[in-house]
Amino acid sequence: MDPDATFTLPSLLCEEDDSSLDHQVKIKVSQPRSDDDQYIRSLIERETQSNDSSCVICDDESTKNWFKCARLDAVNWIFSTREIWGFHFRTAYLSLTYFDRFNSRRVIDDGKEWAIELLGIACLSLAAKMEEQIVPSLSHFKAQGYIFESSVIQRMELMVLTTLEWKMCGITPFAYLHHFFSKISDECDCNEVLVSKAIGFVLDFSKEVNLMDHRPSVVAIAAVLLACDDQLTRNTLECKIGVVSSLYSLEKECIYNCYILLKELETKKNNTPDLNSFDLLRNNWSKSSNIGIKRKLTYNGFEQKCPVQKISRRL
Amino acid sequence: MSNRSGSNRPEWLQQYDLIGKIGEGTYGLVFLAKIKSNRSKSIAIKKFKQSKDGDGVSPTAIREIMLLREISHENVVKLVNVHINHIDMSLYLAFDYAEHDLYEIIRHHRDKVNQAINQYTVKSILWQLLNGLNYLHSNWIMHRDLKPSNILVMGDGEEQGVVKIADFGLARIYQAPLKPLSDNGVVVTIWYRAPELLLGAKHYTSAVDMWAVGCIFAELLTLKPLFQGQEVKATPNPFQLDQLDKIFKVLGHPTVDKWPTLAHLPHWQSDQQHIQGHKYDSPGLYSVVHLPPKNSAYDLLSKMLEYDPRKRLTAAQALDHEYFRMEPLPGRNALVPPQPGEKIVNYPTRPVDTNTDFEGTTSLQPAQQQASGNQMSGGMAGAHIMGTRNVPRPVHMVGGMQRMQQQQNMAAYNLASQAAAGMSGGAAMNPGNIPMQRGVAAQPHQQQQQQQQQLRRKDGMGMPGYPQQKSRRF
Repeated sequence: MDPDATFTLPSLLCEEDDSSLDHQVKIKVSQPRSDDDQYIRSLIERETQSNDSSCVICDDESTKNWFKCARLDAVNWIFSTREIWGFHFRTAYLSLTYFDRFNSRRVIDDGKEWAIELLGIACLSLAAKMEEQIVPSLSHFKAQGYIFESSVIQRMELMVLTTLEWKMCGITPFAYLHHFFSKISDECDCNEVLVSKAIGFVLDFSKEVNLMDHRPSVVAIAAVLLACDDQLTRNTLECKIGVVSSLYSLEKECIYNCYILLKELETKKNNTPDLNSFDLLRNNWSKSSNIGIKRKLTYNGFEQKCPVQKISRRL
Repeated sequence: MSNRSGSNRPEWLQQYDLIGKIGEGTYGLVFLAKIKSNRSKSIAIKKFKQSKDGDGVSPTAIREIMLLREISHENVVKLVNVHINHIDMSLYLAFDYAEHDLYEIIRHHRDKVNQAINQYTVKSILWQLLNGLNYLHSNWIMHRDLKPSNILVMGDGEEQGVVKIADFGLARIYQAPLKPLSDNGVVVTIWYRAPELLLGAKHYTSAVDMWAVGCIFAELLTLKPLFQGQEVKATPNPFQLDQLDKIFKVLGHPTVDKWPTLAHLPHWQSDQQHIQGHKYDSPGLYSVVHLPPKNSAYDLLSKMLEYDPRKRLTAAQALDHEYFRMEPLPGRNALVPPQPGEKIVNYPTRPVDTNTDFEGTTSLQPAQQQASGNQMSGGMAGAHIMGTRNVPRPVHMVGGMQRMQQQQNMAAYNLASQAAAGMSGGAAMNPGNIPMQRGVAAQPHQQQQQQQQQLRRKDGMGMPGYPQQKSRRF
């Protein structure tokens, strides 16, 4: 990638290789092309077309808690497997949207942790097939407590596909981060640290919250705003997003609520002493590289990726 | 075969009478079937080849189904149903059947009637192809594998002569990452490949589809592939020098002057000797397509075959071209010119191999050709069609059908009833019998309606309809 490349949305182009992964993120904000605006608007519009809404099927507290824990385990498995395979963050996030959408339509009974694990595997495998260039075969997805045959995972994949009505083209907040940073960054010094921060917020959010309750574009703009400034009031926030024309169709109220939610999640996390894997991950992003693996944020998706040849050694 | 329908066949299969196999490719098999409740309705059923053991559901299948689920346009093939055989987990896609495709139409004119395709038909096919492509591009979908055999034309019936873009196995939403084109053993013919791809561009746009349309346009005019390069077979994605050579011979040498980003393309940089060093004679596209340079068809064609993808005509611009505003005007029925007295070409129907069942196994029934009109016998085995005569498949006396009769628990996934049907398939799909309750589906019908409205609205925007519509054409 041309080191002087200006900051335009790469999404409009298809990329065939990973060469851009070897370059440091360099954010140089230029006027985004009008094409980008149009594209972002079409993305936001497509979000509304898949208006799944989460529906609580069970209001029994213990079941809810059980599910929350099981989900957290699945999330942790998905993120650690993402790291092993060097998948993009958006792949992990996408798999969680499949996971949450599935659970809004079907209920997995209490105590069936294995079913949740199987679901997590199927969702990640499907997301990888949608997003990644290299997808490991099913037998390489190692669950924590159970061994699933490939055919069982494939059955689960089919079940997820039909339950989600084959609508697999999920939009994630990562599709928007570039654009939103470029839009509000004349007031804020946009750099690698801020980008990593925003990614971290999105990931922390995905860990805790049912992803069907918030639109990806809302999560993205809230994370970008929080990364730039954690002291926004409702008024200052509305002021900032007022300049982003592609956001007109989004409700300011939703954005503000999401901003507050992200902020609360961060406060909660900072008050919890033990570092979880997310904190570790995040620490890794800000130091540009360590443990011998290039961990660099890429321009095209802001995501880190381990070289594929590392895989065999790590497994 | 059609009279072998047992009463204990899987439910989804029972709604069809299988006629036979009509195609075979790297993706799997295609069958022709009739809907029992409506015998006049023909359906093409595409069975995906089982993915490699242990890979799960094939990514190509997921992408194709996902995209087809989202799109709806008169000039794009319509996915009617997705069926899953839960025994072996194979996937079957049911499409509206199209009797013809451009590969066969061109071949018929070249080899049988020995006469050019009439101008009305060429223009109507091109207009509808562009119309479908414009819809795809405005929904941020790139096809990436346009070629004559993927452009279908409807046979007799209400939609006679309507063009349908098919085969979305390689298509994708713009922002998704790309796999190399030669992935999954899918070999895309290089004849329709845009020069930026041949020169190793890492980034490319929907302009690659427009290049392919240009090549197809020229082929409709001359009945010969425009750039018939010798393919280098190697993995992955070898440099296709001969294909570029064929292009340069017709269009002249590209220059950095006219195509500024050319200098950054990998193969342009690396292959100084062959690509940059060789000097080509003056371009002669008009002599290849036998059109005078001032002709509007020529003008349109040359703008689709513009080297610089940024300057290449878009589908929307092409639809606006004066070529489509001149007589003969394009129409909905591309096969039948509206002027009475014009000769109508009867294209052969697709050859059907009636000896192959849904499992792809062959029975020992005598061959029956589905013949009609001036059906050609034999020698029909095109790139994508397997003729009746050469079916190099093992013969199973008790194979396929018998096994299929036991497969009762196939669940149909009916697109019309969306989630509801998806749910009803649940019991059969439940891996390892996980006890699961049915969740509340999010109002599938309403949702679908909304989606269709949105698509329709998008369709309406900038979609001019047939230019200068004249009622006689409809």
